[in-house]
Amino acid sequence: MSTTAARPAPATPPAPSPSPPPAARRRRRFSPTAYVLLIPAVLVLLAGMGYPLYWQIVTSLQEFGLAQQFGQPPTFVGLDNYARIFSDDRMWAVVVRSVVFCLVNAFATVGIGTLLALLMKAVHPVVRVVLQVSLLLAWAMPLVAAVTVWKWLFDWRTGVINWLLVQMGFDQYSGHTWLAQPLSFFFVATVIIVWMSVPFVALSMYAALTQVSDEVLEAARIDGAGPARILWHVTLPLVRPVLSIVLLLQIIWDLRVFAQIKLLQDGGAPVGETNLLGNFIYEIGIGRQDFAGAAAVSIFVLALTVLLSWPYVRNLLKEDR
Amino acid sequence: MKIVRMAAVGVAAALVLTACSSGDDGGSTGSDGTPEAAEITLWLNGADTPEELRDYLKTTFEEENPGSTLVIEEQTWDDVVTKLTTALPDAENTPDVVEIGNTQSPTFTTIGAFRDLTPLYDELGGDDLLPSFVEVGMSEGKNYALPYYFGSRYMFYRPDIWTAAGLEKPTTLAEFGESVTALNDGTRSGFAIGGQDWRNGISWVFANGGELAVEEDGAWTSTLSDPNTVKGLEEWQAVYQGASNVPATERDVAYWDFLNDSAEGGAPAAATIMAPGWARWSIGDLTTNDDGEEVRDGMADESKFDIFALPGVDGGIAPVFAGGSNVAISAQSQHPELSENLLRIIFSSEYQQMLGENGLGPANAQYVDSLGDDKFAQTMIETAAASKLTPAAPGWAAVEAAFVYEELFQAIAEGGDVTELAAQYDERITPMLNGQ
Repeated sequence: MSTTAARPAPATPPAPSPSPPPAARRRRRFSPTAYVLLIPAVLVLLAGMGYPLYWQIVTSLQEFGLAQQFGQPPTFVGLDNYARIFSDDRMWAVVVRSVVFCLVNAFATVGIGTLLALLMKAVHPVVRVVLQVSLLLAWAMPLVAAVTVWKWLFDWRTGVINWLLVQMGFDQYSGHTWLAQPLSFFFVATVIIVWMSVPFVALSMYAALTQVSDEVLEAARIDGAGPARILWHVTLPLVRPVLSIVLLLQIIWDLRVFAQIKLLQDGGAPVGETNLLGNFIYEIGIGRQDFAGAAAVSIFVLALTVLLSWPYVRNLLKEDR
Repeated sequence: MKIVRMAAVGVAAALVLTACSSGDDGGSTGSDGTPEAAEITLWLNGADTPEELRDYLKTTFEEENPGSTLVIEEQTWDDVVTKLTTALPDAENTPDVVEIGNTQSPTFTTIGAFRDLTPLYDELGGDDLLPSFVEVGMSEGKNYALPYYFGSRYMFYRPDIWTAAGLEKPTTLAEFGESVTALNDGTRSGFAIGGQDWRNGISWVFANGGELAVEEDGAWTSTLSDPNTVKGLEEWQAVYQGASNVPATERDVAYWDFLNDSAEGGAPAAATIMAPGWARWSIGDLTTNDDGEEVRDGMADESKFDIFALPGVDGGIAPVFAGGSNVAISAQSQHPELSENLLRIIFSSEYQQMLGENGLGPANAQYVDSLGDDKFAQTMIETAAASKLTPAAPGWAAVEAAFVYEELFQAIAEGGDVTELAAQYDERITPMLNGQ
């Protein structure tokens, strides 16, 4: 950091000192150590991510069903699987649903998480520790257990939520089935997913907020800025790097949400109308044993993830530089 | 003690059986003709096979095959097709012997996932084995999966509530519909059934002579639009809407809870339910068993809990969905001979009788008596005799996994136009049945 700051003109570094760099450069180029050190990381990346991705692409270009899984040689069919997938109306309904669900959840999670972080910054340390422990407990709860409990809470016959609403005078909620309509199904799913991911955002944001120096905030206060202006114009810009990486992660995670939806669907829901991309891939690949079709949708989801997160990645890269 | 005695008998019988069969076929065996000792894995689904039977299988197998062990792994019905799809082709990780839902069998028998059991067919029971299950496990004239047990479903009801309303056991399907509709008072269902519960709902289709799909020249066609099928679906729609307060999105509900008095001793949530025979043990008044646990008394009070078979359109018995499963050996099993030995134990008279004593219909018709001769056994045998399987199409497991019928029945339950829905779903299901 300090070296770049010290240089007067970073755009023209090779010009000033002509004699030492070639030697240094040549030595660097022919030094095998750096490349040797890179090998493990590259191998892990290739084996862990490249190989499955390669197979995913290959499978998506083949006819690959149950018969192939049991040993028949697959045939190459070019882009047939993609054509089949893209001409399916249900696929586009799922895509739109997933993107909307993902964005709503990601922004809700980050919004609520940030507010909780601000709250933690403001309250008494004892209260803060209680808050942090509760958040950690919610985060550490195994997914299946958490969803099961939420399912019981929203149960149409014996659920606490319906009981509470009826006690409060909303008699129409007696025996109300939350999972029957896609909209209220996704409301329940959103509650669960936001509940599960808020702790991560809140704790990350809290860590970021502790790094905002008190002098800056005090200076702003002396200049006459109110709390809202300080938050909007001072605090948030200072924690923006953390905010954007957390939002990026949330978008990626919420686009890939699968288990929560699947578990809720098992509790009785209109499956076709509540499928998100993850469940759609599962249904095609595992349910219908159309592994090639599932691979094609997966590749599409990969592209979609890159597309959705690209603005943030570009921002992050800019900030790094 | 009983187990030990039965195990001893089982070992003796099984030894005789193996003695007869050893030397039939070669394979990866030791020098003296007996299979090499190894550990084999058996996949059973759900809790359907009681603990007593599992213990029997383990002890008998291990005594009969010295040095070998049997590991039983329990799979869930929901995931078993998925797990089989990934595990069966993998010689390293395949389970050796698997239980599979009868209607799921064709998916695997048609692609060579199972070992050919034709040579063992006669030894394991031959023509005494339940024909419809044997057939569903066949492909190109060979036996790949054999029946494990059968079940069927019938109606459980509250005679006290029915009588109070001046109603009697119905004799026709139409009468059943009228009675349960009359019994629905808004909170207590006359007949509790979830909208997505097509496995119970198709009884109305079968009763009206309808089919879900038919095969012609090797190609399957979904026949929801067939007039008989439509008639059955419309009747079911009327019964659901009139008699059930269970949401249209529900399926596989623990209906037996609905029939019991509520926790505070108040009125039950339903006057009638449809369930497999073993539901009996979850129904009845609360009592304490020998271990001091609180359990249901198995419908001891006949004036409060009773059963009847779903009546047919013109009286008699309506065909219901035949529950049950098949058993098969993985084609990739590394220990086919040990696996066959396990099948010999499963099809032994001792084990078949144990199945019956535990309320599971034995695969071998000779042992059906072991179910007993009370009304539960009689009704089970009657309804099983009249029961029907779902289409044995190669893509059937895919249709089930995609929850297509759940969606269709929900749409019907919500009051959709049956003729329109039938046409729409025919178009969707036909390609799936044929493996698209």
